[in-house]
Amino acid sequence: MSHETVVARLKAEAKPWPRGNRYEDFSPGRDFAHHWGRTVTEADNTLFSILTLNYNPQYTNAEIARANGHPTTPVNPLLVFNTVFGLSVEDLSEGGGPFLGVEDCEYLAPVFPGDTLTARSRVIDARESDKRPAFGIVTWATQGFNQRGEEVIRFRRTNLVRKRA
Amino acid sequence: MSASAALTSANNYFEDFAPGDLWRHRRGKTVTEMDNVLLTNLVMNTAEGHFNEHAMQQGASGIFAQRVVFGGINLSMTLGLAAQDTAEQVLSEVSMTGIRLSNPVFHGDTLYAFTEVLSAAPSDREDAGLVTFRHYGINQDDKLCVQADRTALMKRRSHWGAA
Repeated sequence: MSHETVVARLKAEAKPWPRGNRYEDFSPGRDFAHHWGRTVTEADNTLFSILTLNYNPQYTNAEIARANGHPTTPVNPLLVFNTVFGLSVEDLSEGGGPFLGVEDCEYLAPVFPGDTLTARSRVIDARESDKRPAFGIVTWATQGFNQRGEEVIRFRRTNLVRKRA
Repeated sequence: MSASAALTSANNYFEDFAPGDLWRHRRGKTVTEMDNVLLTNLVMNTAEGHFNEHAMQQGASGIFAQRVVFGGINLSMTLGLAAQDTAEQVLSEVSMTGIRLSNPVFHGDTLYAFTEVLSAAPSDREDAGLVTFRHYGINQDDKLCVQADRTALMKRRSHWGAA
């Protein structure tokens, strides 16, 4: 078969692997245990902190971190937030729809390089959008945990979420 | 005097912030493709609207025809641009709320940060206090892109500052 024939068959016959949820999937009370988890490394912490210009030196200078009372450089809390948020995206928001807001984000325990983050979410509200009939408005309560099961962060996120066509 | 006092600014301890203060931070940052794709992928955000240019050009999002910067980065960049002034003396971050991303950021857009002090209060530690800020991020066209309230535990100069 020619390459063109191979590609034509792929495009005509392959089934799209399903990914992401839609508005109809978010019944209030539904729980999601998000994929993968992420061991946060010192390199992650340094790279994230310097690319975002986050010049609190306790994230990039271990001596200052210790002088501040930490055992070593704590992971930048915004990296904890972005990682837990990132792990939740496939289940919650990859199906499409703009971000509306985050409320009540609390940092409950410090995270250190080598800790492994996992994320869970619960649907706490789902309602129609008056302005955009193709979307609904969904709010989730998301929690991040370390490898000992201790909750390190929680927040509530609201998105517009696309409905099924 | 603490070990960090010699390596950080002298004008951004708890005692330096009063409710109503409004600051424009000194530097902006042009958010590049490198920033967006690297950090989006670093945190394993799987939404391809942040890293698949072809799909966006094909109309995959239904809204934008190019990759859009992940909102968590817009927030982090705004708080980062404010960090030397409002986080250099922070012992721990406590909370954030009221996070709004009111305008998209695209590769090549430049963010500038502003900060308003909402409150400054004692904490349960005598060497540090709680400061609540409202941070704003605007782009090169003066569009408000980011807003967020943030509370942090900040060193008091009386305990941590240079003698």
